[in-house]
Amino acid sequence: MTMTNVQPHTTLANAPLGRAVRITRLHHPRKEIATRLRELGMCENALIRCVLRGNGNMICEVQNMRIGLDNRLAGSIMVTAPEEAGTA
Amino acid sequence: MTPPAAGCRTGLFRTVRKHPAGALKARTVALVGNPNCGKTTLFNALTGLRQRVGNYPGVTVEKKEGRLALQDGIQCTLIDLPGTYSLLASAPDEQIATDILLGRASHTARPDLVVCVVDACNIERSLYLVSQLLDRSVPLVIALNMVDAAERNGITVRLRVLERELGVRVVPTVASKRRGVEELKRVIGQGACAAGKSRQWRLPEPVQRECDELIGLLDEHHQLKGPDAFDEAAALLATDTADLERMVRYDPVLRDHVRRDHQRLEFLGVDRRSVFVEARYQWIRTLCAEAVSQEPRNGDTLTHRIDRIVTHRVWGIVIFAGIMALLFQSIFTWAALPMAWIHDGFDALSLLLTRIIPPGDLRNLLVRGALGGVAAVVTFLPQIILLFLFIGVLEDSGYMARAAFIMDRVMGRVGLHGKSFIPLLSSFACAIPGIMATRTIENSKDRLATMLVAPLMSCSARLPVYTLLIAAFIPARSVLGIFTAAGLTLLSMYGLGLFAALGMAWLFKKTFLKSSVPVFLMELPEYKIPSIRSVLVQVAERAYSFLHRAGTIILGASILLWFLASYPRMDGALPAQRLQHSYAGLAGRFIEPVIRPLGFDWKVGIGLVSSLLQREMFVSTMGTIYNIDNANDEGGQASLRDRMNSDRDPATGLPTFTALTAVCLMVYYVLAMQCLSTVAVMRRETNSWRWPAFQIAYMSALAYGVTFVVYRAGLWLGLGG
Repeated sequence: MTMTNVQPHTTLANAPLGRAVRITRLHHPRKEIATRLRELGMCENALIRCVLRGNGNMICEVQNMRIGLDNRLAGSIMVTAPEEAGTA
Repeated sequence: MTPPAAGCRTGLFRTVRKHPAGALKARTVALVGNPNCGKTTLFNALTGLRQRVGNYPGVTVEKKEGRLALQDGIQCTLIDLPGTYSLLASAPDEQIATDILLGRASHTARPDLVVCVVDACNIERSLYLVSQLLDRSVPLVIALNMVDAAERNGITVRLRVLERELGVRVVPTVASKRRGVEELKRVIGQGACAAGKSRQWRLPEPVQRECDELIGLLDEHHQLKGPDAFDEAAALLATDTADLERMVRYDPVLRDHVRRDHQRLEFLGVDRRSVFVEARYQWIRTLCAEAVSQEPRNGDTLTHRIDRIVTHRVWGIVIFAGIMALLFQSIFTWAALPMAWIHDGFDALSLLLTRIIPPGDLRNLLVRGALGGVAAVVTFLPQIILLFLFIGVLEDSGYMARAAFIMDRVMGRVGLHGKSFIPLLSSFACAIPGIMATRTIENSKDRLATMLVAPLMSCSARLPVYTLLIAAFIPARSVLGIFTAAGLTLLSMYGLGLFAALGMAWLFKKTFLKSSVPVFLMELPEYKIPSIRSVLVQVAERAYSFLHRAGTIILGASILLWFLASYPRMDGALPAQRLQHSYAGLAGRFIEPVIRPLGFDWKVGIGLVSSLLQREMFVSTMGTIYNIDNANDEGGQASLRDRMNSDRDPATGLPTFTALTAVCLMVYYVLAMQCLSTVAVMRRETNSWRWPAFQIAYMSALAYGVTFVVYRAGLWLGLGG
């Protein structure tokens, strides 16, 4: 899988659809939200794939789980292309 | 099967080893796991009970208990705990689970054994909670559930590797098919169920060093030891430095030490907030690399293909609206025939009693009082069954979570997030589970706002009121060739409830429940074909509950109402005059000046007062008083709706009910808080009388105000005739 569409550092909200990206940093201002994201497996170094975009929100796949999250929250998750292609 | 695991090191294990047969005399066994991993299905399979299950996170929001009979005759108490992703609870339902697991709950003793249900399709995420339980030296067995789904998805789990690395027994199960349940019972009954290997994950060396120092200080200054001290140290290292000033419960020496720790770790470039979770996941990933393998997926999954349509920004809303319209339309069309059968059945019974029992008070009491009131309500049973059938299918299929996803934007506009939509949707069935479902909402103000507006959603108790009035007063007219005026009127009543709920939530969130912008974050489960058994069990329970109320509260209240509407006796007077001068008539006329501006007369007043207990009492009340009012009608040949339709004011000759009165009554019932059970649940969930009192006050004012406006507008438009 090529990752040419992924900017070196972008947010999950801007990540290309269907491509696995690696989470580099969570910077949500509310600590409990950031903790919950990490506990759900959306922690630094985890692979994540945005699979659908809706009306102000999106569906992502982390591990084998589908998670719905809004674009504001996705904007607080920094991602980058993984070193090698993989599935989230 | 794999032999018993090694690594049993706790006090409990020592107790176990002392038992002569080597069997665990567990008194209490708790089921725990991530939301939607099949805990309740497994609970039902283990206990033979029929707790409600659903295919969306947050179905279980309080602990449920059942008896677990093990193969050697040992009886245990099995507790089904609300789902949680972590022992660091972030919502009230998770707090219940964590408190019980860690022995902090005053009402429940710490479980002797914990069965952690792990979703075989989501092992990595589930092991996060498992690793926390291991760190706490909780005696543990793992039920690796839904292994059939994992197999279908090309996931292979090496059980022996998992057992070896975790140090606990792992039992593969498919709870929905009862596969592995007997083996799990056997393992629970064995003495090998003890705590596994704790703290296998490793922190980076500088973090571990700071952590150890802090644990020493916590022991010295606050007498905290073991896992409690470690968790506290981890929380202190992860917290914001600015927050330390407010943590006055800690010794100043300790706070200074933490401040210096923060500086050192930041200098070393360590992200204090993520390092603990990341280290744990690092270990989990290493473990999963050895224990779990997954075949590469070819193409999109069925769930993805369905999601592409049902969560689409346009089609998603169209489908959601279509499902709702179908639901309300079917309630009218599909239920008509069975309702007619029930009505005919009660008529036949009424005729039989009329023939058997000689005329007099006893016959009147049985036929006009008891049977009249109960029949009026029981006739609506098919509609209640259809409503719960639809809701059950939506829940079990996995669509409910998608409804929350679609509605997130709408909810966001009123200051709530999509998660609030599930409690509101559940309130279509009943506000009580709806209010309890708010326990999944993390933010307390969001939760309170959702609880305050949940009773505005039209529950099943309102359905008999709506359908009686619609059938009697809304013309049977086709709309657009596929809908009927009756179906659309019903839909609009549900729409009004939803609109009022969102409007009030917006008002509350803009005023006294202001909080930060809500965040939508929710697991979306895989779609599955609804389990017929699960849906039917839920429907049967609701139908039984409806009939039970009809046979107890409504029967009793109908008899009482018959007495109040029949006495004092006025021999020789017309039935309408007798009713008007009865005790019930006096009560109705007493409140008539208050409700007259809404277009309601004293007969409606009797219905409004009697239905303060529960809303469907309005229908039974009408059934009773119109039976008495039509004393010449032997055996109830005319239906209640016909009697209401033909009722006229003796003084003016004008009809008592018009289409406008019917609409006003429905609007009143949409908005008024006429349910004592909901008040009691609000009291329990908010732990005060303040919020239920506020809820009654605002809903009463809203109901009165809106009904008044609708009535006046109707009169002005010339619809009052």
